[in-house]
Amino acid sequence: MVRWLFTAYGSATVTSNASGDFKLSIPDAYGGPYDYIRLPKGFKAKIWAKRLTGTAAFRLIVRLVPDVVSAPTSTVDIDSEYLASPGTLELEKRRPVVVVAKTGSEAIKFSYDNTGAGSIAFSADIELTDEEE
Amino acid sequence: MSVVDKFGLVAENNYLTIYIPATQSALVFRVVARANRGFEVFDYGPLPIRSGESVALFGGGTASVPADGVLPAMGITGDLRFPAIPGTPLENVRDRSDIWYLDKDDRDRLFHVKVHIYPPVIRALVRIPTNVTQHRFQRDRVPLGVESPLGFSRGLLETVHIPYLIYGYRFANDTNLDLRTFVKFVFAEYVVEIPRKPELIFDVLTRRVPSHWLTMPIASLEPAIQSALRDVYGFREHRWGFRLYRADERDRAIREYEEVLKALKA
Repeated sequence: MVRWLFTAYGSATVTSNASGDFKLSIPDAYGGPYDYIRLPKGFKAKIWAKRLTGTAAFRLIVRLVPDVVSAPTSTVDIDSEYLASPGTLELEKRRPVVVVAKTGSEAIKFSYDNTGAGSIAFSADIELTDEEE
Repeated sequence: MSVVDKFGLVAENNYLTIYIPATQSALVFRVVARANRGFEVFDYGPLPIRSGESVALFGGGTASVPADGVLPAMGITGDLRFPAIPGTPLENVRDRSDIWYLDKDDRDRLFHVKVHIYPPVIRALVRIPTNVTQHRFQRDRVPLGVESPLGFSRGLLETVHIPYLIYGYRFANDTNLDLRTFVKFVFAEYVVEIPRKPELIFDVLTRRVPSHWLTMPIASLEPAIQSALRDVYGFREHRWGFRLYRADERDRAIREYEEVLKALKA
């Protein structure tokens, strides 16, 4: 069984009521930042923990891109968290958000909306695994 | 009682059986000693791919390696060998371009190597000999590679390096990330001998005597493999190892094993 646990990080400087996608930095990946993380076929992504921080409020949205090859702009929202005021919100030791790659064209991305004006950032601990259950 | 230790490596005075599908025969070794007992783990470093080298891509085309040891997104390496790390005593190995290569006079040595690749999503396979496709589906109809839908593993390879044979390791990255790679070897340098009693070989091959079995990805008996089996151990045409027999074919098997053993080098 393969398990790869890594952290993805993104930050942005935003104005009020902005929305957009976080650009991702990943320690195990060279260069970047990356718009999304594509999942190998048969793998599942488990998002175990999320940390939101900012000088402004914002909503973090986890999005599935079902076919990043043919329709990269078509997404499905699968999870969200809201940082209601400046500060830090840590969401750990929860049951993970799970995405299964059935074709190998699936990807996950992280977006923000409903922002105040300021600097916002998040990080997420993501596991890619081919485990059965 | 297990014949392997906590690393999955064969403990001293146990047997290692290397099965070669192409010959439907096996090589049987007794592990006399472990030359690297106590230092089985070798943190090698990044994959031996250099900045600026070109790798093939899933879907066609090529990409340039952006930095040493980085496997580009959707990139597929050619057959790699693991060279000695420059500036270290490893430069004194027999072949600096391949730390696992042993020559034909090294018949008393075998490297049992587990290659752990990080990140473990990286696809991997080993080709014996290098540049020869040995993974197949439905006989020879479908040759398989690290770029195929099947025919590879991820994150871990286990093999035994037969002396006088060059192995080729291939890797592929089917994510959109340029991955920084790392390789850790868990290995044993065995001092080995081939048992000289045909009855014992029969008992090992009929699993009456415990042994660690490893099936090599060898579907075709290439000339380089024949050469290694002949020049290293003395195996001959049609006797490229010890054939498997049913338990009720003991007499026939032992007669054949006696003939094979007579031809082997001391």
